[in-house]
Amino acid sequence: MRLAISKLLPTYFERSRTETSEIWGKDLVWQKGEMIKIVAPSGSGKSSLVNFLYGMRKDYEGSILYDQHQVDTTDAESMAVLRKDHLSIVFQDLRLFPNQTVQDNLELKRQLNPYHPKEKIAEMAERLGIGKKLSSLAKTCSYGEQQRVAIIRALMQPFDFLLLDEPFSHLDNRNAELAMQLMLEEAGARQASIIFADLERIEFFPFTSLYHL
Amino acid sequence: MAVSFKPIKPLLQTGTNSASRWFSYVGLGIGVLLLLCSIQMFINIQRLLKEGSIRKDGFDYISLTKSVTNETMGTPDRNQFSDKDLAELRAQPFIDGVSPLLPNDFRVTLGAGSVLAFNTDMFLETLDDEFIDTLPPTFKWQEGQTNIPLILSSDFFEIYNVFAPGQGLPQISRETAMGIPVQITCEGNGVSEVFIGKIVAFSDRVNSVLVPKNFLIWSNRKFGKGEDVKASRIFVKTKDANSTELLRFADSRKYSLNKDKTLLGRNKMVIQGIFSGLGIFGLLVVLLALMLFSFYLQLVIARSRDSLQLLLTLGYSPGWLSRKVSALFIPVYATVVIAAVLVTQLMQWSFHHLVMYNRPELSSVLHWSVLCVAFLLILLSVFTNNRLVRSLLYKLHNN
Repeated sequence: MRLAISKLLPTYFERSRTETSEIWGKDLVWQKGEMIKIVAPSGSGKSSLVNFLYGMRKDYEGSILYDQHQVDTTDAESMAVLRKDHLSIVFQDLRLFPNQTVQDNLELKRQLNPYHPKEKIAEMAERLGIGKKLSSLAKTCSYGEQQRVAIIRALMQPFDFLLLDEPFSHLDNRNAELAMQLMLEEAGARQASIIFADLERIEFFPFTSLYHL
Repeated sequence: MAVSFKPIKPLLQTGTNSASRWFSYVGLGIGVLLLLCSIQMFINIQRLLKEGSIRKDGFDYISLTKSVTNETMGTPDRNQFSDKDLAELRAQPFIDGVSPLLPNDFRVTLGAGSVLAFNTDMFLETLDDEFIDTLPPTFKWQEGQTNIPLILSSDFFEIYNVFAPGQGLPQISRETAMGIPVQITCEGNGVSEVFIGKIVAFSDRVNSVLVPKNFLIWSNRKFGKGEDVKASRIFVKTKDANSTELLRFADSRKYSLNKDKTLLGRNKMVIQGIFSGLGIFGLLVVLLALMLFSFYLQLVIARSRDSLQLLLTLGYSPGWLSRKVSALFIPVYATVVIAAVLVTQLMQWSFHHLVMYNRPELSSVLHWSVLCVAFLLILLSVFTNNRLVRSLLYKLHNN
């Protein structure tokens, strides 16, 4: 799968943004397998970009294409298929089911298109240090723990592009590195791309392209 | 592996506002019950009053005769309807059709053959098929055929059964009467011919012995005096037998109307009207209950909005999700409608056994159309729910 963006700009941004940004207003093509790092200070539209790429918002000019699928005109059912089979995401605001256990949160994603067997949930949770939290309600977990749950959830399905929106904002360096390692392994196994948007560069992400938003 | 709805079910806040939910279930039950009972009662009335049905396709059929007075006695011409009289009647706006009851113009005798020692003079008449209330497909005759189908007045038959014991004759049932062939002898112009008559139906509307029209025309030509046969009695088809214009017209011409038989038809109409009204009311209650339930569903979806939206974000198909969410309520709908069907069945059983004392025209079992309506109601409720949930979820997806 290939992702192409063309002359992309949020409708609420001034056109002058295209002069300084390496993404807004540009024509870019990313192939499956590339590691994309997007560095963006607060307010530069990082979350907007990730939401646009995931098809959650349509308030932009220009176009986003996954192969032949234009994101803003794709119907609801096709978008669901795209998200189930080709696109995965870690939201900045985590978006877990607060009244479900960690295990249920992960299973809800896994059962949709199981890439891993059920046992893999415990293994990954153990690896990221939340093995004991599987039976706790998500709302009782700390932000750091919830962030790791959101990361594992994103790895439960097959994908060609993994979108990360400040995925380590609540993690210390050690845990962030462990999580990154896991995501790199999983992306490698799928020969998938990671599009990683963050406030600053992170040493342990071996990007192939770097963009300033 | 199929996606399971089990882990998703707890995400729906169905427990909220249970009063509204229960109200809608009870409302639906009452509405369905009213509707089904009305349909069944409508059918019951149809069956009970089938024999007495005088009104057909929204028309009354009534007979008209000229009043025989001292002045007109002995002058048959003045008591019969001329072509001019018929044309005048047809021209009236409140009359939708006229058919003269043409009599035989020759001597007719009736015998029961070897079955009963019974022989009497009688008469035959004919009327346009459209004016006959009970017209079986066997009421047809062709030249050369010795069998003649007869339609006998129910009143005549009743009178026979009343006087039969006194005359040493057996009383007979309608079924038996329809099975007994009678000998009809037509005489005139020096010839005589015996036909086999068979009663094919009884009429509540026409007090006569009816034969197919082509038979009477043929026999009048063969056995009759060759004169133009005039009718002393005619039938008129009208929208309203109680119309004041019709009554005024009949009075002015000194015609007498036989309206008695329209009363049953009118009563039936009124009763059916009441049950139609009840049925419509039931349907309205069903619609109200469905609306109330749709509010409850909207509330459930609004309260579960975050969870449903997150499921869609994670890649759950809105079509699949709406099918599953609406399917949650199918067992409830089915239970409510089936309960209403069972109560209707119980009521029909009680009506048949306890109120109608097992009358043979009725059945203790519900009519198939009631079951069909019940099934359609389940389909209707499932369909409306599915549509509602679907549109709400697609709206969520696009937000």
